[in-house]
Amino acid sequence: MPNLSDAGREEYKNSEFILEAAGIDFTYSNGYKVFENVNIQLKENTFAAIIGPSGIGKSTLLRILGGFLKPDTGAVYLKGKKIVKPTSDIILIHQSIVTFPWMTALENVMMPLKIKKIPNELAEEKAMKYLELVGLQGFENLYPKEMSGGMRQRVAIARALAAEPTVFLMDEPFAHLDELTAEGLRQDIYNILFSPETPLKVVVLVSHNLTEVVELADEIFVLNNIPATVIANIPVTISRPRNPRSDEFNQLLDNLYTHLTPPRIKTR
Amino acid sequence: MNVFILIILAVFATTGRVFFLILLAIVSGWFLSYASIEEIYIPLTEIFESVPVISFFPIVLLIFVINIGGELGIELAVDFLVFTAVVWNIWMGEYQAFKTVPNEMVEVSENLNMNIWQKLRYVYIPFSIPRVAANLFPSVSDGYFYITVSEVFTVGTVQYHAFGIGSLLMEFYSKNEMQYIFYSLLIQGILIGFVIVLLRQYSKYAVAKYTLDTDAPIIRRGRINVRTTTRIISTIARNPVSRLAGYYRQRTSYKIKKEEFEKEEKRYNIGKYLVYSIGIILLILIIYGSLKLIFSIDRSTWMKLFSITPEILLYMAFDYLRVLIILLISVIMAIFIGYYLAMHRIMEAIFVPIIQIFSSFPPPLYFPIIFGITYPFIYHYFGNFYTEVYVLFLGFISTFYYVFYSYWIGVKALPSEYFDIMKNLNMGTLSRLRYIIIPGTFPYLIAGITSTINSAWGGLMIGEYWPYIVGDKSLEVQNGLMKFIDVNTLNGNIAYAAWASFILAIVVAIYSIFFTKKMMDLAKKKYVAEEGIFAT
Repeated sequence: MPNLSDAGREEYKNSEFILEAAGIDFTYSNGYKVFENVNIQLKENTFAAIIGPSGIGKSTLLRILGGFLKPDTGAVYLKGKKIVKPTSDIILIHQSIVTFPWMTALENVMMPLKIKKIPNELAEEKAMKYLELVGLQGFENLYPKEMSGGMRQRVAIARALAAEPTVFLMDEPFAHLDELTAEGLRQDIYNILFSPETPLKVVVLVSHNLTEVVELADEIFVLNNIPATVIANIPVTISRPRNPRSDEFNQLLDNLYTHLTPPRIKTR
Repeated sequence: MNVFILIILAVFATTGRVFFLILLAIVSGWFLSYASIEEIYIPLTEIFESVPVISFFPIVLLIFVINIGGELGIELAVDFLVFTAVVWNIWMGEYQAFKTVPNEMVEVSENLNMNIWQKLRYVYIPFSIPRVAANLFPSVSDGYFYITVSEVFTVGTVQYHAFGIGSLLMEFYSKNEMQYIFYSLLIQGILIGFVIVLLRQYSKYAVAKYTLDTDAPIIRRGRINVRTTTRIISTIARNPVSRLAGYYRQRTSYKIKKEEFEKEEKRYNIGKYLVYSIGIILLILIIYGSLKLIFSIDRSTWMKLFSITPEILLYMAFDYLRVLIILLISVIMAIFIGYYLAMHRIMEAIFVPIIQIFSSFPPPLYFPIIFGITYPFIYHYFGNFYTEVYVLFLGFISTFYYVFYSYWIGVKALPSEYFDIMKNLNMGTLSRLRYIIIPGTFPYLIAGITSTINSAWGGLMIGEYWPYIVGDKSLEVQNGLMKFIDVNTLNGNIAYAAWASFILAIVVAIYSIFFTKKMMDLAKKKYVAEEGIFAT
């Protein structure tokens, strides 16, 4: 347990949540206030989704959750510990699929392990395990440019998993894939992420695709208004695997659409 | 004439020469690029790009000074030397731009039945403007460097002058007129500062107006913003990467078109004949010069030339060692300083313009002052080794800029997602450099290293033998190929100088084919960071 000095009281708090954003306010450098009092709390083994109208600040919120951006007020806590800078405990998966073209799939996935100074042999073994987990066994010696978009995204996910994070932040991870590939990866992703072989506890997904959100999420946070705040927190209790043609799936979809009205400017 | 007016006129004469030659390179490049055939153009440009300008020196002397003679011959000799220094960058940039014009644009131009001139005017030339703008910075630096060196040269007992700040300064140095030297440097500095500001503004304008899909802000008149310029440079600076990766992709579609359209075939042929004609004219000139040289030399001289060849090769080994040291120091410094500046915006805003102005200020103009001030200390600490220190230093200040600038642009052009990942994985500076920054900027580093090697030869050319650099002191190395060429040119022994240059050109061309091109191919295949980002 951390030492709770006076300064430490701000840094740590007892929390039942894995990831918690408390009272987040954020203003862009041009003076535009994006968020006001955004609160998100996520328990263990939660796949959360953040939705909202275009330009509302969903990707910005992900970057705040990852410690890439510092909120004006409020804080983000990982297992009660305040996040003040990016950490390999919270890994961001980008909308553009990011791989390193000068490394093979295996080398891409080994990179986070090498940085942690894990011996080469063990790093390779672990990297192979993650490649297998994302369904890329047999492709480990290919370079990213020799792979399809879907395979590249699997490499990016395996590399992120190799960092052995607690939280995954996914910024529209399927946006650049064709519908068939995206659907295949969507079907796999939940099992990959929450497989017993990964230390992941929470996934936060940002997406415009409401079907994708309902298919994957345990909990949906709806952002709206200017400045944005969480206007709805909707638990998804539909049992898995989820059938997009089922009535309850479509009811939930309709419900989400009602929240996605054009943003209104808040008056004081 | 009043000395100040003379200095101002000389500064303008030199600057005018640089800009006229750059303009000539730009305009000729547009036509050649449109007409070019990559099978000839690319290897030729790549080889010439990495051959030091000094290799042209004896040919230039022979063709222009000895055959044409007079003021015109001298002026043409100087201009040709500088032209060879600035032309390759610009031609390559334009060629890249022409080959990467989006197919949709080409289709529109064909749809509207544009003729060649209209296509050039409305599509190709506007599209190439950002690349031209990006290449202006290094070309102006190169131009100033070589023009100040070339304005005065001695063959045997005859010293040739072309009016300009380089020749005027040499005169001031020889008469030890320090106050005029300072005024000259000051006026030259002011003009270079002005030129840099002008080029920066032009780059911003070019990017805002001519670049497709950029987030560069619209230019408002009268505002100079260093941070914006930095972003713009990184936006337009795709040249090294495109140079390595771009044209091969385009080549396929170009060929398909060639087969599909008879009209295209005709244009291709016109271009082919144009390039062949220019190539043949150049070849005739070179063969004529060489034959004239060969027949003017008797058998005994030929025997002497062969007998001194081992000596020349030894001198070349010394010079390659010097180039290697200069290169290593430059690359190591560039990697750390470039990365630091790219990561720290405020420092970048202060130091990048300083480095830019410094780099455009030709070292031959101010080096004697540095020598004069530091000589007692350097001699005290390094003893007789002092000449090597100065030669390496001169090489360094002539060349550091190229690899730094290229690498810094490479770091700026890395996808922002890579920086997120480096932060995300808590990577330290060395890990970042090892795994991401250096591989990610590899094509830029190779491009920078090529220019650095080329300019290091330029630095050695001046530094290895500089008689009476300050007062009665001379700078002279023990062994060096550049010294050998300099001394023999000075003594009127053109045959020896030409022979040494010829051997150097062969070695450099082999090096270029087997090393530079190989590294570029590797960079093209593996190290293009943009290919790591997949987005439809």
